[in-house]
Amino acid sequence: MIPRPRVFVTGLGAICAGAGSVVELRRLLLAPKRSFQPPTVFSTAGASAALPVAQVSGFDVTLPDALPRTHRLALQAAQEALAAGPAPDAIVLGTTTGGILTTEFALQAGSTSPHAYRFHGLHTVAEHLATSLGVRGPVLTISTACSSAAVAISVAAALLRSGHARRVLAGGADSLCRLTFHGFRELQLVAPQGSAPLDAQRAGMTVGEGAGFLLLESAPNRRAIVAEILGTGMSCDAYHATSPHPEGTGAALAMRRALQDAGLDPSAIDYVNLHGTGTVDNDAAEARAIKQVFGSRLPALSSTKGLTGHALAAAGAIEAVVSIIAISDGLLPANTGMQVVDEKLELHPVREPTRAQVDSVLSNSFGFGGNNACLVLGKAPAEQASIEVGTSPPPTDLLPPLRVAGAACLTARGALAETWKALLAGESVAGFVPDAVFSKAAPAAFIRRLKRLPRLMLALAQTALHASGRTSPPDLLATGTAWGPLAETQDFLRKLFETGDQFSSPMDFIGSVHNAPAGQVALLLGAQAPNWTCSSGDRSFEQALLCVSLAMAEGAPSALVMAAEAHQAHLSPLFDPAAATGPLASDGGAALVLLPDDGAPGARVRWLGENGKGEDCGDGAAVALCTQLAARVPLDCYDAVALSVPAAMGADADRELLRLAEVLHPCPVLAYRDRLGQHASVSATATALAARAVLEGALPFGQAPIPLRRKRVLLLLLARHATAVEVFA
Amino acid sequence: MPEQTDCLVVELARKMVETLGLDTTADLVDPAAPLIGAGLGIDSIDTLELVVMIEKDYGVKIDTRAAGVEAFASLNALAAYIRQRRSASSP
Repeated sequence: MIPRPRVFVTGLGAICAGAGSVVELRRLLLAPKRSFQPPTVFSTAGASAALPVAQVSGFDVTLPDALPRTHRLALQAAQEALAAGPAPDAIVLGTTTGGILTTEFALQAGSTSPHAYRFHGLHTVAEHLATSLGVRGPVLTISTACSSAAVAISVAAALLRSGHARRVLAGGADSLCRLTFHGFRELQLVAPQGSAPLDAQRAGMTVGEGAGFLLLESAPNRRAIVAEILGTGMSCDAYHATSPHPEGTGAALAMRRALQDAGLDPSAIDYVNLHGTGTVDNDAAEARAIKQVFGSRLPALSSTKGLTGHALAAAGAIEAVVSIIAISDGLLPANTGMQVVDEKLELHPVREPTRAQVDSVLSNSFGFGGNNACLVLGKAPAEQASIEVGTSPPPTDLLPPLRVAGAACLTARGALAETWKALLAGESVAGFVPDAVFSKAAPAAFIRRLKRLPRLMLALAQTALHASGRTSPPDLLATGTAWGPLAETQDFLRKLFETGDQFSSPMDFIGSVHNAPAGQVALLLGAQAPNWTCSSGDRSFEQALLCVSLAMAEGAPSALVMAAEAHQAHLSPLFDPAAATGPLASDGGAALVLLPDDGAPGARVRWLGENGKGEDCGDGAAVALCTQLAARVPLDCYDAVALSVPAAMGADADRELLRLAEVLHPCPVLAYRDRLGQHASVSATATALAARAVLEGALPFGQAPIPLRRKRVLLLLLARHATAVEVFA
Repeated sequence: MPEQTDCLVVELARKMVETLGLDTTADLVDPAAPLIGAGLGIDSIDTLELVVMIEKDYGVKIDTRAAGVEAFASLNALAAYIRQRRSASSP
């Protein structure tokens, strides 16, 4: 068997409370001193005013029009990781807050100008990095709550192994904001005296912020290597929206998967950097999981969140940097904040920074939605050791096509059958999905607390699975959503502002995280599978498809991939120009059950590529992507090109449309949003419909259906970062 | 003052059903039955939602596990808990 390509770390960047760089983080780990204090980036009132947070100092510029804090934290750590080296091929970023801190101020001030919200989207953080650093390849945004950065690193590793990139910047960033501060406070998860992980008297976490990045390479200069990603593992508890499984079942599964991926026995691990938030339930569940995996011979372990605070979506990357410092410096970091160990946990955390030989580290990250991700990091190969054959990834090749075993979509006209019928009759399916179409997706007791987006996702998941005839849960679950659960976000902030920052709703906070709908789908299906939520603006669906395609290229046997948006009357028009297009404003989405291409009849779907617009050429990103693809795929093999033109493209779209028609000539180009509706996940709907179209031999995206003689459709997204997906039979 | 107690219990039942989106009506909730684990399907997230509602609407905190056990024993117990803390904090 050919050894699979290896993934090396060649650069590090970090910023968190108490450390503005990797050098400072190293110093902090050697002489731990925490700097928790009440927040100053927003005002607090009443009892909450005294609650400490882990705020990064020296980042307090609050010009009204400034780039949001998350974006600035991310850029600083990203630049440190790159160390003035050439631009990476791709970025994979985990974030849950995006520009929400700025949005909160704008909403409270009553601003109704979309300009004030242009950096709200989670995807804008990575896109700002891409623009600043000159990155042209895929720019992915992962949002799986507190495991986001660890998931981002695992996606980046898979991207490197696939050969679709050779240098990837991967990590996470989150800033403090009122949503997370008050949300965790109302869940009674914030420790009044600061986090004390594993302590007998532990009373919660300390909400933090920061950014962390690893520069990952598949074939780097030997001397540049600082560590290696040996393995990654993901799982979903499928147990509860926020509480970990009490036995730590999901966490243990992710740890085992990471060790197996690394090909290591648990005894090979020298140190575990725990998720260790300091909440009663997390630490208890994690302790059980650790004992399940390691038995009675526990490695050295500690949580560093009592020192750095919990930087949420950045935590997994900051802690990957901590783990690499442990390896390179031979240092076991202390479990800062703990006074008296909780004997019931039966763990014996490192109490003081301790010198030791550390070759392999397991780093844990667990999040709301039951999203778990673990990384195994190892030391750089010895200077004299040769890097075996197989290290170098294959030349860039297409990812394998996947067979569509079942599909579902939701539009203003209803489900797939009704939508198809309306389109065949030349009618538009734009508009909002009627409640009656999807509100019976799950038992009333299951969905009573759920608002529009999770209900849409549950209905899509159920219908697609049913259509596939499969009864077992999928082996992979990936969802995409540009704007996340907006009703929950709006309700949480409205209640908070109405009460002078005193009261809101724990339920809405839990519901507001972008991966909450995916967590609900996993819960309903009992799917403990790796579970991604991609939040990448108009290409969220394409990135969810990329995540499962990478995993299926490495052998995963089945996947459910879906994307959806839920229109919210107040917020949607502020965030996405698509929602301000009158009768075209829409919501809904689609789901596909995917299997490996086993030769059985049916439609195939394949992710082809993502390309960002370069500053150096006149062409837009979609034209550049087509030119790039033409080298590998004969573009004249398609019967039609189905094109998504987001309203956000404005007048830029017209010029690029003309150029695209030239490049793709004589293949007809159909801009389908005029017929399918304007929303960020409509490309999922178009893909599900195209999967039917290639079987029926006609694509009904225009005035009259276009015949599909070769049964091949190319789906393109026109955007600053264009994507291409093909559907064929 | 049994009548006053009834008023608060009725009000709490209505707010609880509304806030939590329970699949029942306020008059069907037994004021003496345990709130948690007794057929209403109320879990830890619901109790936190109720904690916030009670502090916002009645100015009464439920901020320890012990207080939660006492307050959420039943609707009658919750009403009693609110009354007791309100009279204790009034001058």
